[in-house]
Amino acid sequence: MAKVLYIDYERCIGCRACVIGCEECSGHDHLSRMFVDELNPGETVAASPTPCMHCVTPACAESCPVQAIAIADDGTVLSASLEKCIGCKNCTYACPFGIPRVDDVKKVMYKCDMCYDRTSKGRPPMCASVCPTDTIRFVDEHEIKSEPPKEVQFKWDFGGTVIETRTVIGMPDTETNRYGFREGDGVQS
Amino acid sequence: MGHAQNKDYSQRDYDAIVRDGEELISTHCCFCGMQCGMNIRVNKEDKSVLGVEPRYDFPMNGGRLCPKGVSAYRQAEHVERLKHPLIRKNGKLEQATWDEAMDLIVSKIQEIQGKYGKDAFGIYSGSSMTNEKCYLMGKFARIGLGTKNIDYNGRYCMSSASVGFNQSIGIDRGSTNPWSDIKFADVLLIAGSNTAECHPLSMPYIWGARDRGAKLIVVDPRQTKTALVADVHLDIRPGTDVAIANGLLHVMIEEDLVDHDFIQNHTTGYEEVKELVKKYTPAHVSEITGVAVDKIITAARLFGQAKTGMTMFARGVEQHATGTDSVSNYVNLCLVTGKMGKKGSGVATFTGQGNGQGGREHGQKTDQLPGFRKITDPKAREYIAGVWGVDESEIPGPGLSAFEMLQALGKEIKGLLLICSNPIVSSPTVGDVGEYLKSLDFFVCMDFFLSESAELADVVLPSTVWIEDNGTMTNVEGRVLRVKGIDRTPGETKRDWKVICDIAERLGRGQYFQFNSPEDIFNELRVASKGGTADYYGITYEKLDKMQGVFWPCPTEESEGLPRLFEDLKFNFPDGKARILAFEHKGPNEKTSKEYPIILSTGRVVFHYLSGNQTRRIEALRNLCPDPYVEIHPNLAKKYNIEHGEPIKISSPRGSIELPARVTKITREDMVFVPYHWGKSLAINHLTNPALEPKSKIPEFKVCAVKLEKIASHAGEKHG
Repeated sequence: MAKVLYIDYERCIGCRACVIGCEECSGHDHLSRMFVDELNPGETVAASPTPCMHCVTPACAESCPVQAIAIADDGTVLSASLEKCIGCKNCTYACPFGIPRVDDVKKVMYKCDMCYDRTSKGRPPMCASVCPTDTIRFVDEHEIKSEPPKEVQFKWDFGGTVIETRTVIGMPDTETNRYGFREGDGVQS
Repeated sequence: MGHAQNKDYSQRDYDAIVRDGEELISTHCCFCGMQCGMNIRVNKEDKSVLGVEPRYDFPMNGGRLCPKGVSAYRQAEHVERLKHPLIRKNGKLEQATWDEAMDLIVSKIQEIQGKYGKDAFGIYSGSSMTNEKCYLMGKFARIGLGTKNIDYNGRYCMSSASVGFNQSIGIDRGSTNPWSDIKFADVLLIAGSNTAECHPLSMPYIWGARDRGAKLIVVDPRQTKTALVADVHLDIRPGTDVAIANGLLHVMIEEDLVDHDFIQNHTTGYEEVKELVKKYTPAHVSEITGVAVDKIITAARLFGQAKTGMTMFARGVEQHATGTDSVSNYVNLCLVTGKMGKKGSGVATFTGQGNGQGGREHGQKTDQLPGFRKITDPKAREYIAGVWGVDESEIPGPGLSAFEMLQALGKEIKGLLLICSNPIVSSPTVGDVGEYLKSLDFFVCMDFFLSESAELADVVLPSTVWIEDNGTMTNVEGRVLRVKGIDRTPGETKRDWKVICDIAERLGRGQYFQFNSPEDIFNELRVASKGGTADYYGITYEKLDKMQGVFWPCPTEESEGLPRLFEDLKFNFPDGKARILAFEHKGPNEKTSKEYPIILSTGRVVFHYLSGNQTRRIEALRNLCPDPYVEIHPNLAKKYNIEHGEPIKISSPRGSIELPARVTKITREDMVFVPYHWGKSLAINHLTNPALEPKSKIPEFKVCAVKLEKIASHAGEKHG
């Protein structure tokens, strides 16, 4: 059973436990590969975490001139191989989600590999392990895509190019102002 | 499969990973009252602390951790740790030997007590330490030093909840229910708590309830991350909690959403409340609180109509001059609707400090003896004197509460031992508190970092961090837990319980402090608490390990504790009935005026803990939130022509401070909010009001009147 990251934006409190937790993974060299963004600062405290989306057909790997970005058997898109990567930043331009980063000193790309040393042993990645609010969960891919608990998205349209991701996003309920976008009319749901 | 009491918690079915050459220490976080379980990664060879590994099998958090918890271990090898005793010489703290330091401390204690009397030496203690240490401090004060003046920083934190619970239901356990019960509430009313940021690990339980379709009502002046997901957000004016609760009671009584059977059989005082809240119509309450009428009505209906529900609150309700009234009034909501004593129904306060619960049970409070006994109760005094092997007359009476003690420094209190607290950041009017501390004849402090308070001490003793000690803590729900440590004392650090026993020895009181381990102390605590309200007698280290924690009361060896209180609906009063108490809205002690037209409220952020003495030193947390700021609504900012990020001067009658503005719609227009985790010139507590709640003696941190001023150098500047 392949497992993937499921991220329910509505639950994020912007605490960055996932960002710090990411540093604690043995394969991460104390370098966090997780991002958290304030969605609408000044308007609302809503925030959202972004790990690698682990595309089914990853643009980063496809654009790598030296094939440094491997895809594991379970579909996890790994971080660049230290031996192969030349730090050219092609992957950073290719990725539509802005995930890969290049360490300018070491001249090597680094990104979320879903804590492969943990997930390959059946444990959740650090971000899903520590997330205090269950915003980030480690769930069965088939289940979350076929019977989601709420509206989810894992296919993204970039100007006609549709990219399917293994990471699944739970959409916030903006209709009923659960996410702070609509001035309340007394009752917010 | 763990113990049955942990069935509905949030543990997960994964094993922790142990890396080569390492071992894991299964312990708990050193920060808030959630007491999340965690594994600390330790190098087998040199015992150095390497990192953190999730402890998936611990019920309360199942491996989850907030940013403070993930990075807590980073204190252990921190370069700024104190490793040697320090003595002030020629105005500067200089390295000294333990013998020098201890000789000086003992001679000063004897000198001060000989000259001014026993009570002239005080102890200001804390609640972020184990039950064993809290118990030891209380005992050391009473029969080691013989002083009545011991109190603790929980006075700033949990004291209103304590009084409120005691006067309403006769017992003060942070939660009447196990935390897993939150999932089974049909409605949750959370007041004065930014749970999402201050107790993030409660969120899986709140989400659990919402996933079942539960409604969430949040009472908070700010649209916090907790309020953001509420069904109804009652954005009250700070200091109007009593009024909003009266408004909710009014609607529920008017619309007959109360439980008459429960009221009649298990409570007293309903008629008085019914009479009093008649005038608290939604319109009137709306005027007082600033909350829309329809929100008040909707919230009351959601709460009244639900079968099960919990009211939960925190410092936003308690740190007021009417804090105990507010607590009891929120408890009233559950009492009039019969939401007590069953799964998903009860009341809880979010404990701020790691051992905020245990710290207020075993004799650190100036008016209290172990087991939640009153120090003025002759029977309690007799019993504890028997446990300690002293004559009852040797146990002093009640002394001064925390802030009163600080105010008495240099006057009736000439010497002070400070442990596990940083009052020069966490007290109101900190400018004055600095002067109080400086006016002492002798000031000794125990800490593992040189806190702002320790900087003023005559002697600083280096203690170990939490991961180097053993003992027990009592979490937010009243579950006693085992914390385990590594067997090491870096540099010349010593465990503080050993230091206290050593001082007692040197004072000639050693026969009462013959402890060789925390377990020795705990075994005495068990006996001392026996028969008290907080009865730990049946709890042993072995049982704690086996059950992943035990809820008090646990009065016998056979008992497995009591996770849910009042299932028999017998409240802790002679007649077994809970007290529904009536309160008029009085408002805050300091009202806004023409000169000071804006309300200031203070609180926490998710990245820091209390005075910030620990979290500000952890780089990851410091980077995420390096400095305090003034949260201000755009309309108010516009009024003063203040831009986002611009420094502004904020003043109260007690002082002023300059901080950058954070312009945001999440706060009310008539108030500003500033987090309080910083010291010296960045301490917002220069401004806060030292008015004390008459019953609990908690200062009114949550409301004071301030004015805002644009700083001249920024006046007229053009911002791009």
